[in-house]
Amino acid sequence: MRTYEMMYILDPRVSEEEEKAIQSDVKDLLTTNGGKIVREEPWGRRKLAYEINKLKEGKYTLLYLAGEAGVLKIEEVEYRMRQNDNILRYLTVRTDEDYKRAGMPLPTETPEEPAEVEGEEPVEPETQAPSTEKGIEKDEEE
Amino acid sequence: MARGKRVFFRRRKVCKFCADHIEYIDYKDVKLLQQFVPERAKILPRRISGTCARHQRILQRAIKRARHVALLPFITD
Repeated sequence: MRTYEMMYILDPRVSEEEEKAIQSDVKDLLTTNGGKIVREEPWGRRKLAYEINKLKEGKYTLLYLAGEAGVLKIEEVEYRMRQNDNILRYLTVRTDEDYKRAGMPLPTETPEEPAEVEGEEPVEPETQAPSTEKGIEKDEEE
Repeated sequence: MARGKRVFFRRRKVCKFCADHIEYIDYKDVKLLQQFVPERAKILPRRISGTCARHQRILQRAIKRARHVALLPFITD
């Protein structure tokens, strides 16, 4: 199974209802095209690093997706997103391979909140002071 | 303080990501990426940052992604 992240930016001038509508449209599109929404993370309004269509801010939404190769049709969804003028930008990134390489857990339904489950004291696996690398640099020359 | 002795402080020329065992650089981590895009928003070259080739490549991709979604600027003036 592959996992993806999809981020898109909406025109900040759209109303709340419109925003909701677009968000559910996108999600519907994804599900009808073979995707599964693992988690949704609304970032809300955010300043853009540069102007897009003369706009200085945008409404960000981040989706974590999962899907099977050949089943999930991202292109289809992106094609439809391009038609929507309220979507300023989108970015879909495949994450499973990178995550695996990095030994990171795949995204789950809950926002990442590591360990610290019910009442137990989180046991820190080995207390490790970030010791500065020994003597790589001898900083004393003249 | 170290007058005459050293004018510029010496950066440790070790790949930050190797040192911190970072294997995946998230394009959403603007704070981190910003450290590698100085003022003009250009990507800091390896020769300055000391990042290893592999991590520079990963970093570069993250920065470019971040630029696309306007988390980082292409240029600033």
